[in-house]
Amino acid sequence: MPVKGLKTITSARNGVGAFILQCKRLDFHYCNFGGSSRGMLNFLTKDLAAFAREHPQIEIRVSPRPAKHPVIKGHYINGLEKAICVRNLEPSEIMKKTMILKEASGEKLKRTKKPVTSLNESVRGIWSPYHGDLRSV
Amino acid sequence: MKRLQLQRWSSTVLLPRARTNNRLHQQLYSTGSRLQSTASPVQSESSIPDDIEDASFQDPNVMRHIRRAHKRKMQLQYPSPPVEAATKSAKLAALHARLYLPSRLPLQTLARTLVDVSADHNPDFNNESLATLGHDLLSHYTSEHLICTYPRLPLSVTFAAMYAYVGPKTLSAISTEWGIENATVPGGEVDPGVLQFKRIDPGTDVNEVSQLESPRPYAAQKNWRMTVSSKTFYDNEFGDAMKGSAASGQGVTYEAARATFVRAVVGAIYLHAGRPAAKRFFEQHILSRHLNISELFNFSQPARDLARLCARENFEAPVAKIISETGRKSRSPVFVVGIFSGQDKLGEGAGPSLIEARERAALSALKGWYLYSPLNPRVPSSMEEEGAAPWKPAHIDLGEIVV
Amino acid sequence: MFSRSILRGFASELRFAAPSSISAAPLPQRACLHQTAWLRTTQQQSQSQPHSPNPETPLGATPRAQDTQPETQQGSKAPSTPTSTFNTITPQTRADVPIQKQPVAPTFDSPLEVTKSVMSNLPHLAGQSPHYVVAELHSRPYLLTAGDHVRLPFLMPKVKPGDILRFNRASAVGSRDFTLKGAPHVDERLFECRVRVTGTEAEPLRIKEKTKRRQRHTKTAKSKHRYTIMRVMDVRVKTPEELLEEGAVVVEDAEDTPKIEARS
Repeated sequence: MPVKGLKTITSARNGVGAFILQCKRLDFHYCNFGGSSRGMLNFLTKDLAAFAREHPQIEIRVSPRPAKHPVIKGHYINGLEKAICVRNLEPSEIMKKTMILKEASGEKLKRTKKPVTSLNESVRGIWSPYHGDLRSV
Repeated sequence: MKRLQLQRWSSTVLLPRARTNNRLHQQLYSTGSRLQSTASPVQSESSIPDDIEDASFQDPNVMRHIRRAHKRKMQLQYPSPPVEAATKSAKLAALHARLYLPSRLPLQTLARTLVDVSADHNPDFNNESLATLGHDLLSHYTSEHLICTYPRLPLSVTFAAMYAYVGPKTLSAISTEWGIENATVPGGEVDPGVLQFKRIDPGTDVNEVSQLESPRPYAAQKNWRMTVSSKTFYDNEFGDAMKGSAASGQGVTYEAARATFVRAVVGAIYLHAGRPAAKRFFEQHILSRHLNISELFNFSQPARDLARLCARENFEAPVAKIISETGRKSRSPVFVVGIFSGQDKLGEGAGPSLIEARERAALSALKGWYLYSPLNPRVPSSMEEEGAAPWKPAHIDLGEIVV
Repeated sequence: MFSRSILRGFASELRFAAPSSISAAPLPQRACLHQTAWLRTTQQQSQSQPHSPNPETPLGATPRAQDTQPETQQGSKAPSTPTSTFNTITPQTRADVPIQKQPVAPTFDSPLEVTKSVMSNLPHLAGQSPHYVVAELHSRPYLLTAGDHVRLPFLMPKVKPGDILRFNRASAVGSRDFTLKGAPHVDERLFECRVRVTGTEAEPLRIKEKTKRRQRHTKTAKSKHRYTIMRVMDVRVKTPEELLEEGAVVVEDAEDTPKIEARS
């Protein structure tokens, strides 16, 4: 057999063809008694339905968590989750926090220096010292 | 304190009057099987309490308990979730929206694609038929893409590329990237938005191929040579031995269940939204993934193969020449060797020894030949679109060399 | 009105009758019919529930980002696209922005002018894939190829995940052996570079201790910047035929026109 094939798998490039939002579930926890949940309760009754309608790709769960501060938890496709405590926040601020969770990629926060990361090989090839003419300095 | 016995508690506390007049029990047994009718799906919560109302419970809490218990009992009868549960699952609706599935594809079908054959043996309620269709579509679209884009690709590399695009491992990864979760155990009461399959027993050999079902003659002779061309005939699209369908009651692996699900989604899109939608889905989700085909080659003797190739194509015999070198007598020399056929340079490679550099040069020459790709290749299925330009025959190559 | 158990018995009989190995009884057509029969009545049910999404309402019909015609919806919210800048030019708010960082006004009032040398070399460039583009955003260069992941060093306003933007300012477009260098920029009608916004990311919280001499108080300054992440969908150079179809005009070479340079 002159040549054999090596088995690999293709790697994902979300957004090149189809785009899949990385946030798959948002959990809203509130307390019916606590004062820190007042904004959250307002948000749940007034704004959440519109948010859910705009983002059908996110599963939304609302559950009470008595005697605790209100929390929003985002669950992501890579299996990680992010939680933001929204105690004493106004509904508009809670909406901002929800948008942060919605737009996040789910990855752990990292400090990166290069703006572009690529899977492709270098288009023009890697420079080689053994090729090309000698240039006078 | 004595523990309450649940069974006793439920019958004595929850259903005191139902037991006395025994209507609920009658209703349960008489219409229990009707609730899953496929012919007429008028089947909502309102149909259950019709008869319970007659029992004239005043307390709404008790009523709610009864309804819940009733519903749960209904659900537990079936191996997979009932069809009407699909419209109530938030997970399923989110999945539908996340994949931007066409609105013509109903949630009920999407729920059905999530039920593996190992969870529900009834072919009307599992995804086997959809997966069979989707599997054929995926193989067809991938193979025509590969053959038209790289007409000179050797068959073994085509098999590997097919495996990379639509192999079970890739499809399983795709389903994970869609956010699919597994049900721990399949059942009627499970949320229809999670993947339902029965896991294979630990210790089972997953690579075992049953000799009886293999169409290949002498399949029992494990160490006999199998030619690549016999693989096109006897084996599946990845060049692997075909496995028969799993026996009933047997579980499947995580990977196999997820691959079946992705295939079933493609099949469902084809059935409900038509061919263009299925092809667009394939291009967006499968073809858009990254694969470097030049990494799939594994040559054993590239110099010999190149000589055979040049002889077949009536090129001059390949000659290796040193282009440049440095540090021949040092610890780390570098030779740059080019392979020439007459005046044309076929390939070039650098290595720490002359032999190694020549091998690499021959390898790059062979890859340059095999990875030829015509400008703007068209696939045969593009002719199915409306207003397609007239078909020009695609480039067909002689095939790989025979050594 | 058949019960499911009756159907099951029927199906099992069918299976005994035709015990072929792969997918015995259910033909795809039957599967389809079976599901559509369900659909008819479940529609009425699901309409009564406000929260459960109805499959017939345009649930999947919001594929703002999924359509294959990017012309209709290419990032109308993006400040860098030519359409939006053309419509919403507000000179007062742009006064403090340096001239280099201001969005480019579209130059579509005159047909594209391509020099003869570029026209003769363009087929070589367009035919050799893959391509790269040095796209400029706020006068910073980004070397992009198709499929790259980009994390902009700032949070781009007014974009949502899934939006498609078209980068229209590039200083160079090229392939392995040829490069079209702009003077200083390549005309946006010569190439296409589309990116998809995939979300936002943040850096880990940075804490800087601020101290002053002879004071026991230390101030901690916190910062956690947010960045827009995007994915390059395609990088493409247009062929001469496409350019001529779009009404390009071939002109003579001059000193300050873009040139295609071959690798030495």
